[in-house]
Amino acid sequence: MSDSVRLSHTAALILQTVDQGCRYGFDIMDATGLPSGTVYPALRRMQAEGLISSQWESEKKATAEQRPARKYYRITRAGSEVLEQSQRRYPLLGRLLTLKARR
Amino acid sequence: MTLEPNRPLSLRFCEAMISLAARLVPEPQRHDWKREWDAEAWHRWQFLFHAGEWNGREALGLIRNCLGAFFDAAWHLTSQETLQNRLRERLRSPWTCLGGLGVLLLVLAAATSGFPAARDLFAFHTSLRPARLFFIWLHPSAGGGDQGLPSDLPPAWRWRSQLLESVTGFTAGHRTIQLANLRSRKFRLVTAEKNLFQTLQVRPAFGSLPERDGIVLTDAAWRSLFYRDPAVIGARIRIGDESYRVTAVLPASFHFLTREPTAYLLEPFIPAYPPTRVMVVARTKPGVTEGALDRELTKIAETATYYFFKSELRYASFNSALWTPLFVFGIASLLSALFVVAVSRVRIRRFRLAFQPGSRRASARRAGFFVAKTGVALLLVFLAGLEWTRSESAVIFASWDPANGPFLVWVYILCSMGVLLWSLADQRARCRVCLRLLCFPVRIGCPGCLLLDWSGTELLCTEGHGVLHVPLLAPSWDEESDRWIALDDSWQELFVHSK
Repeated sequence: MSDSVRLSHTAALILQTVDQGCRYGFDIMDATGLPSGTVYPALRRMQAEGLISSQWESEKKATAEQRPARKYYRITRAGSEVLEQSQRRYPLLGRLLTLKARR
Repeated sequence: MTLEPNRPLSLRFCEAMISLAARLVPEPQRHDWKREWDAEAWHRWQFLFHAGEWNGREALGLIRNCLGAFFDAAWHLTSQETLQNRLRERLRSPWTCLGGLGVLLLVLAAATSGFPAARDLFAFHTSLRPARLFFIWLHPSAGGGDQGLPSDLPPAWRWRSQLLESVTGFTAGHRTIQLANLRSRKFRLVTAEKNLFQTLQVRPAFGSLPERDGIVLTDAAWRSLFYRDPAVIGARIRIGDESYRVTAVLPASFHFLTREPTAYLLEPFIPAYPPTRVMVVARTKPGVTEGALDRELTKIAETATYYFFKSELRYASFNSALWTPLFVFGIASLLSALFVVAVSRVRIRRFRLAFQPGSRRASARRAGFFVAKTGVALLLVFLAGLEWTRSESAVIFASWDPANGPFLVWVYILCSMGVLLWSLADQRARCRVCLRLLCFPVRIGCPGCLLLDWSGTELLCTEGHGVLHVPLLAPSWDEESDRWIALDDSWQELFVHSK
């Protein structure tokens, strides 16, 4: 699959953010500066393509902390391969995210 | 972390928005989807609240972020296979084709504020009495297109003609005019000899026609330039280096050539230098024939040192000239149809086959769709061409000759040709029974083995009505290059999904 998937710059940015440890939709929005209307559909699409996977956190743990459980995303092996290709295609991708993080 | 007892109004609003957006998400995924968005909004509020950064700005930011839930929900909705299939089916439907053309017609109506040029054509010049009114122009026999006449000819005709009641030369164009308050505007200006309105037999709504020179405004020009100021008479307008007085405003029902707001600059005569070509409008005496008029006007022109061959002066009665765009369109459509029939190898035999008793109903449906689709598309071309080019040039010269006629002729010829070609191509790409666009093109055979076996593309009707074979090369001896193969009921179980 990784051979056939070519990500847009925005999707690659989101995938890189997930790879760097931002695991929730709103965290990704903060890290990338992209609106929710862009981030969430991109996450759904990448999940459908098998680049990321999602999982609900333990309900027991969330209930113990008196808060609703969150859904978190993480990059898959195929996603890592596509990300590597994207980083070669968009060399400034890594630097862009570092700059955003500094701000 | 403990649950906050009082959730802020902004969070409640976000939850309401998420609940609303969730209605777009398909049922099986709705619960998880809503749960994820609710949890994200809640955690964001909690994080900011405990960090001591929760304020009005952050509340607005949270609402803005939650607006994205609608986009996310819409993604879920549109990514559903059944919905996509249904949409594809809709797009292939013949009704979508007709609906699309209807929408284009509405868009054109909105963009042009209700087809003003077309309304000019069909409900025109109510204040004019066009009987015995003629346009006269020059069509040089030594080549070149239709053109105006030398500006000193209309006065010569006016003084010497026994057959003309009145004749006026005029020019039309856009000029920059300056009002008394120094406002400058590019405006449509008709410069005419001062007897224009006597020739047209029109009286002003108020004010009086100028004795020597002055400006007469149409009602639309009075509205747009002077905002219906009743004290407009006597106001001064500067055109180039000269200043002119407004002397009259014409009735609201008066339109000459166009509905566009127009100022008429009336002068004793249009100067011969620099050389100007003028359009001519004339009113004949009762019972005058075109031949007699031509003989007299040619003779007077010769006296005034302009030697025209008899055939060089052209005449069009005002009534017939107004219908010129319609004639132009009719001729253009006819020429295009002949061209399209020639290039598309449409055979009369096909039409005969189409009306065989066995397939009469389906054939009538196909023919009806073809006529409706082509008719609406041609109407679109007619209206768009008229609105884009305006009928003015077509009306003044009243010409429908592509070699000499106005730009409108070429617009109509090329566009109607395009419409007919598209209409035929679209018809061929549809199912012969249900008229849906065929799909799933499959290349069959090897182009290099053309002599050994059939090679081409197969298209399928999703309802299972048949298959269209389009050969890679259509041999000239083959009557029908595209072959439609109807599928019988035994194939229906393969197409169960669409029932």
